Amino acid sequence: MNWQKVRTLLITVLLLCLIPATRYYQIDVPLLRFLKGSRQVDPLALHLSGEFVENNLGTEQGPDGSVTVRMIAQQYLFIPHCILVPAGVPVHLRITSADAVHSLTFNGTDYAVKVLPGTISDAQLEFPHPGEYQMPCREFCGAGHYAMRSELKVVPREQFPVLRPEERGNCAAQ
Amino acid sequence: MQRNRHRRFSFSVWRLPRLAGVIVVASSLLLLASDNRPDRIPSYVSWTPETIAAASAGDAFRGMLLARHCDHCHGAEGFSAVASTPNLVRMDKLAIWKQLEDFRAHKRTSRVMEPISESLSPRDVADVVAYYSKLPVFTDPQDNRSFPQSRPDPAHAGIASRLISFGDGERGIPPCQTCHGPVAYRPGVPSLATQNADYVLNQLEAFASRARANDINEPMRTIAALLTEDERHALAEYYGAGLGLQPGSSK
Ligand code: HEC
Ligand code: HEC
Repeated sequence: MNWQKVRTLLITVLLLCLIPATRYYQIDVPLLRFLKGSRQVDPLALHLSGEFVENNLGTEQGPDGSVTVRMIAQQYLFIPHCILVPAGVPVHLRITSADAVHSLTFNGTDYAVKVLPGTISDAQLEFPHPGEYQMPCREFCGAGHYAMRSELKVVPREQFPVLRPEERGNCAAQ
Repeated sequence: MQRNRHRRFSFSVWRLPRLAGVIVVASSLLLLASDNRPDRIPSYVSWTPETIAAASAGDAFRGMLLARHCDHCHGAEGFSAVASTPNLVRMDKLAIWKQLEDFRAHKRTSRVMEPISESLSPRDVADVVAYYSKLPVFTDPQDNRSFPQSRPDPAHAGIASRLISFGDGERGIPPCQTCHGPVAYRPGVPSLATQNADYVLNQLEAFASRARANDINEPMRTIAALLTEDERHALAEYYGAGLGLQPGSSK
């Protein structure tokens, strides 16, 4: 082994160390942002375009049966007000805030999702037991905070309606 | 031999544009297939600083002259004679501005107001808004006004004041006064303190049935649908009697 090879190896290792370093020090890497998809949204324009337009909110069923729920938190409501999901299926939750900081919690479970204006919060949830769960806000968000809660309805998998790709499920549709 | 190779080469170059064409057509078809669900947009208004500045830049004097076209229905002092026509007196400027923009964009439907708002230029809208938001409440009425209406019975008044000041935490109904005032106001939310009972009731029913669907991020459609028929009547009577500004009691 000659010195040249050792040097090349060392430089390569150092460069490779830079990758976890960017993650550890939370350095913004545009390429990574591009690959992961941006999580920035404009909280004042959620209703105008993009993922959180009102007919895209609610439960979406992918072609493989996977379930995605999209919600907006605002002073003092979670929209949609009632969420319907199948039991025992991983639920991908995507939620953002239109104004203040909120925290979506599910009574009877230990899930808590912090919701911030301007970014999308992602969470993987699963509800094994059918039933109705209250979803209160647990981050003080203003005068009406204590009345901010919506409902989650977990139904057995066979009772969950089969949704077309453009359809969004909610409690009323059941 | 040379010639042959040359031909083969130029042949593949000729294929390239066709290949690109196929890719473009296929990808646009794919895009079309995935985008067959048009976005439903409740209102084109978004409360950016620029929007708020544009809505606040009106000239109240010019607005006063323009508002003579509105007197006939909305009253010379902003109080209408018919209880199903809204009072515009002392309404928040952003709230009037948003409603006129939504009528102009046909995001809120009204056989009367859509053509009237279309006849106004953006500058006219800002001017009229400046006038109505500054209009004082005259105690000596010149208008043939229907506000305030008679007081609701105590049972209804109790239901309404509880919803206005406390909401209903069990059902997830936030208190009306945290958005409509006087506890807190939010951009584009009208004060209901001087609003007519019939108009409030009509709007609550329209929100609940989604006949009116211009509220950004659906707060009113959600809340109105959670209220019972009786509660909607109680709230309308309470606001229509001019009690909306009083700090509510738990009775
Ligand atoms: C022919 C009668 C008539 C005239 C004239 C008229 N309006 Fe109206 N206006 C109405 C009615 C009726 C409504 C309620 C519509 C509804 O029920 O949805 C209304 C609603 C409104 C609203 C919405 C109020 C709210 O609380 O949401 C605004 C703002 C308004 N009018 C402004 C004006 C202005 C400004 C003019 C003059 C340029 C005008 N109107 C002229 C009948 C009229
Ligand atoms: C989360 C905030 C919020 C709460 C709480 C709220 N509202 Fe509203 N309300 C709004 C907004 C925003 C609008 C304006 C909708 C638009 O932009 O067109 C509105 C509009 C209305 C209107 C139509 C007024 C008009 O002039 O057109 C009525 C009536 C009304 N609300 C009644 C109520 C009642 C009654 C309650 C309590 C049960 C209530 N609201 C609670 C946000 C709220």
